Amino acid sequence: MRRVLVAAAAGGVLLGCAQSAAGEDAPGQPVVGQPTPADQRPGAPQTSSEPSEGNWPDRDAGPEASGTAAEAGAAAPERVQIPSIDLDEDELIDLGIQSDGRLEVPTDWDDVGWFAGGSRPGEAGPTVIAAHVDSRSGPAVFYRLPEMERGDEVTVVDAEGGVHLYQVERTADFPKDDFPTREVFGAGTEDELRLITCTGEFDAAAGRHLDNRVVFASRVE
Amino acid sequence: MATQTIRRRTVMGGCVAAGAAVSLMLAGPAHAHTDHGDHVNEVDWPEDFTSAYSAMAVPDEVVVPEGEPSPIDEDATGDFMLWLNSELDVICYEIALEGVTGNYESPAFTATHIHEGPTGEAGPPRVAFPDPQSEGDGPRTSSGCMEGPFVTGVEDDDGNDHGDWFTVSQIEDDPTAFYADVHTEEYLDGVVRGQLTQVPLDGVETGGGGETAQQGIAIAGPAAGVGAVALLAAGAYVLIMRRSRNQQV
Repeated sequence: MRRVLVAAAAGGVLLGCAQSAAGEDAPGQPVVGQPTPADQRPGAPQTSSEPSEGNWPDRDAGPEASGTAAEAGAAAPERVQIPSIDLDEDELIDLGIQSDGRLEVPTDWDDVGWFAGGSRPGEAGPTVIAAHVDSRSGPAVFYRLPEMERGDEVTVVDAEGGVHLYQVERTADFPKDDFPTREVFGAGTEDELRLITCTGEFDAAAGRHLDNRVVFASRVE
Repeated sequence: MATQTIRRRTVMGGCVAAGAAVSLMLAGPAHAHTDHGDHVNEVDWPEDFTSAYSAMAVPDEVVVPEGEPSPIDEDATGDFMLWLNSELDVICYEIALEGVTGNYESPAFTATHIHEGPTGEAGPPRVAFPDPQSEGDGPRTSSGCMEGPFVTGVEDDDGNDHGDWFTVSQIEDDPTAFYADVHTEEYLDGVVRGQLTQVPLDGVETGGGGETAQQGIAIAGPAAGVGAVALLAAGAYVLIMRRSRNQQV
């Protein structure tokens, strides 16, 4: 009978998952958000210009040219290493924002992605890295993420070889439908890291876990 | 932009509405330009949003006329979180200012704005928020929701308000073309400024449920129930047939 119960559960999951993934490897919707150019991200330094309050350029005429080119921004994250859960992924993929406003997710259950419209390692604000906890048939690349604890270390290597060490401050579970957007994705003044995956009950009808596990880490080195 | 909307937490709505009311009530003599109540269409927190934006406004991003000193209030920051419903032309906001001191000052109705202008350039205000107010020594905060049409109190050369023709969908079309800032008596060009960046709404769909299924736990929903019942019935049928065959043998 136990075997039958397991089979029943698997049957329910397969039915529900069709709603979250067009195929085994195709979760997600069209992406509208694209990586923000380095000189347009928060924190890009400003130099000179014109205006003063009450004397703005006419809307149709467009703003007058001013300022100098912004300095080059930080490099994109390329590799993430988490010794405490034996994870070492060296090909992070870019994640944008879907047409429904949600974060795009990796189409491959074993890919790790980062929110390319947000901050990068070395910049003020959170670098957000996300991956699946499980596929439709078993564990996925972030399966052990929920094991992470305060004090664990995470190393992020950027595309230029820069090494950024973060330490976990806390972990938390949030309902996806009551998600603290500001706390997780909001801009900040410190170099921080967020790791996100799914957790909690799996709603087979909706084909989705109901909660997210979020690991909050701060730069230490 | 997005046509599909996202349900957002309703508890937040109550808090935000209360916060907005408190902010307006707290407007005091230390903040000269807080007569925003007559010029804003405050609305309740909508159930759905089409997009969200964040900006960390800092002194370094303020654009000042050449030859004038840059802001030196380096401890000041402005944390802007914005949620838009472009179908309703509604913008909801949570603003927290740290280290901003002195009276607000601006020719607009208030001194806390969204302007249209790219990084490194100044532009006209499109939205004038109620100025954040403090309780005691805490940060200055404001929150609430506003519905278009938006009025800033500042007119262009043709006598049109800078908020005329602005809709929140313009932010969704090109968020990098807008920035948030705050002006004070001491820093008329802005004490802090930050370009808007789009951030995701709600949670992240990072799981297929397969491991949960293998563990045989935490399966919810009518489909799972139907599947379980069907498979249980199938299992029972197999067991009965086996017993039947065994008995026959």
